[in-house]
Amino acid sequence: MPADPTRPLEPPEELGAAPADDGSRDGESFAKLRELLLGEESRQLERLRRELDESELSVEELAERLPGAAALSSSQDDQLARALAPTIEAGIDESVERDPQRIANAVYPVLGPAIRKAIAETMAGFVNAINRAIEHSLSPRGLKWRFEAWRTGVPYSQIVIKHALVFQVEQLFLIHRETGLLLLHEHVDEAGTKDPDLVSGMLTAIRDFVSDSFDAEDEGGLADFRVGTLSVLVERGPEALLAAVVRGQPPTELRLQLEETLELIHLQFRQPLAKFDGDATPLEPARPLLHDRLETILTTDRPATLGWAPRAAWLVLALVVLLGIVWTVRSHLAWERTLRHLEEAPGIVLIEAERGLGGWRLRGFFDSDGADPGVVLAESGIDPQDVTGEWQPYLSLEPQLVLARTERLLEPPPSLELELDRGRLIARGSASPRWRARAVRLVDSIPGIAGSDLSDVELAPSDELNRMLREVEEVHVLFRLGSAELDPEPRTRVEALGPALARLLDLSRAEGYETAIELVGRTDTTGTEQTNRLLSRQRADSVRDALVAAGFEVPELETTGVGMSEPLRGEDPESTSRINRSTTFRVQLRPAGPASEVME
Amino acid sequence: MIQKKICMVGVFATGKTSLVRRWVESIFSDKYHSTVGVKIDRKQVEVRGTTVNLVLWDLAGRDELEDIKPSYLRGASGILYVVDGTRRETFDQVFELRDIAARTIGEVPSVVALNKSDLRAQWQLERADSSRLDDMGWHNFTTSALTGEGVEEAFEWLAKLTLGDYRGEVGS
Ligand SMILES: Nc1nc2c(ncn2[C@@H]2O[C@H](COP(=O)(O)OP(=O)(O)O)[C@@H](O)[C@H]2O)c(=O)[nH]1
Ligand SMILES: [Mg+2]
Repeated sequence: MPADPTRPLEPPEELGAAPADDGSRDGESFAKLRELLLGEESRQLERLRRELDESELSVEELAERLPGAAALSSSQDDQLARALAPTIEAGIDESVERDPQRIANAVYPVLGPAIRKAIAETMAGFVNAINRAIEHSLSPRGLKWRFEAWRTGVPYSQIVIKHALVFQVEQLFLIHRETGLLLLHEHVDEAGTKDPDLVSGMLTAIRDFVSDSFDAEDEGGLADFRVGTLSVLVERGPEALLAAVVRGQPPTELRLQLEETLELIHLQFRQPLAKFDGDATPLEPARPLLHDRLETILTTDRPATLGWAPRAAWLVLALVVLLGIVWTVRSHLAWERTLRHLEEAPGIVLIEAERGLGGWRLRGFFDSDGADPGVVLAESGIDPQDVTGEWQPYLSLEPQLVLARTERLLEPPPSLELELDRGRLIARGSASPRWRARAVRLVDSIPGIAGSDLSDVELAPSDELNRMLREVEEVHVLFRLGSAELDPEPRTRVEALGPALARLLDLSRAEGYETAIELVGRTDTTGTEQTNRLLSRQRADSVRDALVAAGFEVPELETTGVGMSEPLRGEDPESTSRINRSTTFRVQLRPAGPASEVME
Repeated sequence: MIQKKICMVGVFATGKTSLVRRWVESIFSDKYHSTVGVKIDRKQVEVRGTTVNLVLWDLAGRDELEDIKPSYLRGASGILYVVDGTRRETFDQVFELRDIAARTIGEVPSVVALNKSDLRAQWQLERADSSRLDDMGWHNFTTSALTGEGVEEAFEWLAKLTLGDYRGEVGS
């Protein structure tokens, strides 16, 4: 209150009081003097005193007016809040210093739910990530990621996160919470955006529907929902909702970013939000904030596709690797198969098998009566050239090989069968005397044979020898009636017979027989007994002479004339007479004694 | 552009959905009703040179009085009450419905549609009923979702009211 300059000068009460009490002239003049010297100062003092009195009064008034003033101020701007902030902060600091419990108690009801919400959302994100990892670990995509992890040396979990978090925020809706009306809409492209006004309403309605239905009002409302690869994340603020339509797998950070954006919008647009009555224009400046969200999140979106060239390179590499694998597997299988064949083969003992870079190396024993390692390798499809083999000869006592060895050494004729019975050699069937004699001599010296019984072997000429015998005995050398002279034609036949007889003698000797060849002369029934006997003898002789003349001269050749005493039978009387005017061969085999064997 | 949330309120089968369908070409099929419990449509109207975007909320189901959820009405700038003119009781129930709405969100600009006017034979309301609403300051229209009578007028009147224009002159 400034002093009124027009007011008449009056001494201040206090200053004027003392001289009045004195009631002296001195007092009067002193007052005057004081007025002269101190007039201006005392007036100022008076002014100050009044001001003090008046302000004491208005403190009470202030107490009444302060709430109103504060409300008015904060509705106009936030100057008051800014002015008070340092004081309040200092006050809180001091209070905390004095008694921390007091503040802690006050803040607790706010802090509790906030912490719970934070933990719940972190857990949800964590569980999400694990679910995704499990979901992908066995799929073809999962295998692809495992391969990528192996190729790049990055842990598999990080690869999963890298790929699983590929996403795109396609649309953002800022929705007025109370009315469900759309405040702002931002989207990546026109596609998929039907009618944002209605979508906004529906989102709110669905949220309300869920929270009404499940009494979930205080849990932060509907967090998100999913349709196929689209998720809708709904972030709730006091005045507005922020809904993000996300394609792909939204990461936990996205929720945090949305939360921040929504908080920022609430901070910067508190008034327009609170006063919203259907006109969203005041919120228009918030559009860049939403747009930023679209952009920021897009930059973390990693392109999953490779260019043409690296793809081709990968393809070739994959092909090479595949061929390599096929080759390795096939060669491994061949190796296994070959080793098995070698082990199964008779007479082969494998001691060492190595498969190195330089090729295969095999070491072992083999019995020459068993399988040939080279043949086994070839039959297993391995080029023996590719294998270094060190094969030491040995004698196997396996029955199979003992038998093979015995057969090789004894060479039994086809008519004879050899068998091993616990090391004992048993022979069944027939063989020549010569074979048996030799077998008896050799059998005990064959490795692996522990005795033999060849007594049952039937002695018989070989089939070949029998055939030769029959051939010779079927020959009839025919003569003219009453003549012992060989006609030219029969003579050539006889001469040709020489070599056959020689072969017969050789073979029967080889088989251990002594052979007697008898030329038997005959006549027909005409003529006397005496002349016929003579004639028949002459007929046998002339055949022998012809043979001798042809160079076939052997001691074994005997002649005899039976006349008509041992007639041959023909088909009719005519042919009977004819075939009896002849000389035939009679061959006798007798097992030779030991002496003849030595001659071999 | 101004947006306003409008709620359709009325007893079951009075014709709320039919009135909305008559006035708006909907992009959502009616199956949203049964799944989400509410159908939302939108229509723009011009009120004195201002474009108003009306977002219409139509609640599904039986609409028992206690069924009207606060979340449904919350933020509504206007309510269109619908009465079935062939069922007298739906007229009486409108007053209860208004009480419920007022308790939930306070007084809100409202219009009453006396619907199914095409069914003259069964009509159970009298001129006095309409006057009673007028006296209470409730603007009301006789409507038919079948013929379209009064439908546009009712919605446009409500749009005007939401802009704070209580003089009730229908503009273009
Ligand atoms: N005749 C006639 N029938 C109507 C009219 N409006 C609605 N309906 C019928 O009344 C029934 C209930 O209508 P609906 O719109 O589903 O009522 P809501 O439950 O209030 O949504 C339906 O069979 C409609 O065909 C109208 O104006 N005239
Ligand atoms: Mg309906």
